[in-house]
Amino acid sequence: MTDVTTLNRRKFLSVAAGAGVAGGSLLTMLEARQAPAQIRGTTLRILQWSHFIPAYDAWFDNTYTKEWGDKNGVKVRVDHIPHLELPARMAAEYAAGAGHDIIMNGSSILTRLYYKSLADVSDIYGQGGKKHGGWIPSAGPLVEVEGKQYGIPMFYILLPMLYRKDLFDANGLKPPDTWELARVAARTLKPKGHPTGIQFSQCADANLNWRSLLFSFGGAEADPSGENILIDSKEMREALRFAKALFDEGMTPEVFSWDDASDNRFLASGVGCWIHDAISAYRTTEDTNPDVFKNTSIALEPAGPGGKRVSVSAANVYMIWKFSKNQPAAKEFLTHFMDSGKEGMVQSRGYNMPYLLADAQKPMPIIGADPKMQILQDFPKIVAFYGYPGPFTTPIQEVVNLFVLPDMFTRVARGQAVDDVVKWGAGEYRRIFSKHKRA
Amino acid sequence: MTTASLRGGPEPTARAAVVSGAAPATRRVWWRTHTAQRHIFGYTLLAPAALYVILLVGAPFLFSLWLAVSDANVGDPVAHFVGLDNFRAAWEMDTFWIALRNSIVFLVVAAIFKSLLGTSLAFLLLQSFRGKKLIRGLVVIPFTLPIAISVLSWKWMYDSQFSVINWVLSRLGLIGTYGSESWPVWLGQPHLALAACIAVNVWRTFPFSAIVLLAGFTAVPLEVLDAAKVDGCSFFQRFRHIVTPMIFPILMIGFLFDTVFTLSDLSVVYLLTQGGPGNATKILPVLAYQIGIQAGNLGRGAAIAMMLVPLLFPAMFLVLRNLKRREW
Repeated sequence: MTDVTTLNRRKFLSVAAGAGVAGGSLLTMLEARQAPAQIRGTTLRILQWSHFIPAYDAWFDNTYTKEWGDKNGVKVRVDHIPHLELPARMAAEYAAGAGHDIIMNGSSILTRLYYKSLADVSDIYGQGGKKHGGWIPSAGPLVEVEGKQYGIPMFYILLPMLYRKDLFDANGLKPPDTWELARVAARTLKPKGHPTGIQFSQCADANLNWRSLLFSFGGAEADPSGENILIDSKEMREALRFAKALFDEGMTPEVFSWDDASDNRFLASGVGCWIHDAISAYRTTEDTNPDVFKNTSIALEPAGPGGKRVSVSAANVYMIWKFSKNQPAAKEFLTHFMDSGKEGMVQSRGYNMPYLLADAQKPMPIIGADPKMQILQDFPKIVAFYGYPGPFTTPIQEVVNLFVLPDMFTRVARGQAVDDVVKWGAGEYRRIFSKHKRA
Repeated sequence: MTTASLRGGPEPTARAAVVSGAAPATRRVWWRTHTAQRHIFGYTLLAPAALYVILLVGAPFLFSLWLAVSDANVGDPVAHFVGLDNFRAAWEMDTFWIALRNSIVFLVVAAIFKSLLGTSLAFLLLQSFRGKKLIRGLVVIPFTLPIAISVLSWKWMYDSQFSVINWVLSRLGLIGTYGSESWPVWLGQPHLALAACIAVNVWRTFPFSAIVLLAGFTAVPLEVLDAAKVDGCSFFQRFRHIVTPMIFPILMIGFLFDTVFTLSDLSVVYLLTQGGPGNATKILPVLAYQIGIQAGNLGRGAAIAMMLVPLLFPAMFLVLRNLKRREW
């Protein structure tokens, strides 16, 4: 026991300095995240999509994973496939009980379908949240099943309003801050050769865009428990009527054939007056038509009639297979990767949006420095994913994959009566939900 | 001691025993007989094909059958028998009937166009002209190109804004300008979209029909055709009464392949429209893929895919029965 009475000033300073050095070293070690020795000499296999910003993939494959691998003595192999093929590949790997250690889900988040075969990552999810100030509220339902987390949400992709400021100004139109203002703009500009467009077709953007409109109108597909269908509602009818008017007044029939990239081209061609799309459209325009790009502005998600704004975004989540023989390295990698949210934003030119609150603080990298893109920093407050306000359940997943909601909007745009369409859509939802309940 | 034993041979009784004992020895080496060896040789040659069919066709088919009557799910290792629930669920689906109707329309319309175009091309390629070998090589390009590349090219040609087809038609004055009422939106209007998908399927596979027919035509002896000509048969009479019966087995096999390829063709529709707009181009393979793989309901997806079997079965039965009759 130390004799307090004998602790003179010199001794106190030396003990304090020693403790400081030791504490500093510990902090440095923690900061540097010394990986467990057991992962040295192993191989880590990652499967993910081909990013819409190719430079991001180049950074991830050749710089980020390489540096992490060299530091931890792990050989990292990254494979890329188109995002639409991820569910099929996941099913194949599950059936084979072999494949990659880490698998990414893009847009279609399959946590609830596969959670029995996924590693529980609650520990690193919790640590990541604690370290970075918590997660945005909509992140949890993406990966949580029965109180445990089976995936790490890494970034999401926003679909804001991209509009031609020059055309709006020249015609005395207000920026599309509400859906009604967006409709007025489309109605005014279509006769002048500048219609608008949202996909009335079976593609991912149609699933996202029409949900943003529906939710901003106060509607919902299911209640917060995810169990009860809410599609047959006054708000749904209002949203359908609005979409029909928007189509009739402001669009051309080409929207029935659009895929995820058609609206990018539509904006870049100089024809479109506004689109509701990811900023890849903005970047494409920057590269292909600088004049249009110069006059293109970004707006916040338009508000519905009640002032509500909900921006349904494309989620991206990383998961670890339970059959992975290298779970320690996979967890170590994802823990480290959670620390790189800001760098990811830089490398993706502002495309990747963070789930971690510390990364979502203003100013965010790239978008915080660009006057036109600064508005994107306000999206974390209004972002939602499929299943909102509930989780992305397996019935909702089937609804999404069968494009039931975009088909409802398409039917109305083609002239079917709103009530008939709601009856058809509610029937489809009921059939899908009841099948899953039976199962 | 008997005389026989003196001569060194066995006793007669013993010899009888030896003789009678030789019969089982002969049975033991039955495989050395000429007939047995022929059988063994034949079955050995057949074995790889039989194994191939059992392992790569039979086993997956039985597995699909099991999936169709189970509640198999992509993420759940345990599946339970659910009887015909998955089939019932499919029949209750509005989209299933649309997909079934589209599949039949797709098959029939594509078959008609492939027959017409394939036959015409085969006749053209029978003629003598300069550069015939080069042309023969070129016509099979659509069939040999990777489907993803060729369909993506078509997707560009059908683009609502930049369609080269529309721009050519517009320049020729046959349709209005971009944005006008008469500007066709190939993948956006229900009937046009289905027609556009069928057109790509026909474009891709009619060279196959042509090559099959060409192989048949070249096998028809010229003397027979010359004799018919001398007898005053017209071109169509020769085609109907001489060429068609002679190449009938080849025609039937080509028809069978084509039916199977067309009905199970997922790629063209999936890459062009994903079944849209509003399910106007949804066909059974696309629906099965969306429900079975993308939505994870393997059981229901397999049940929908199994619905192709009753569609294919009559065609297979007719073709194989016809071929068998002709053998006799």
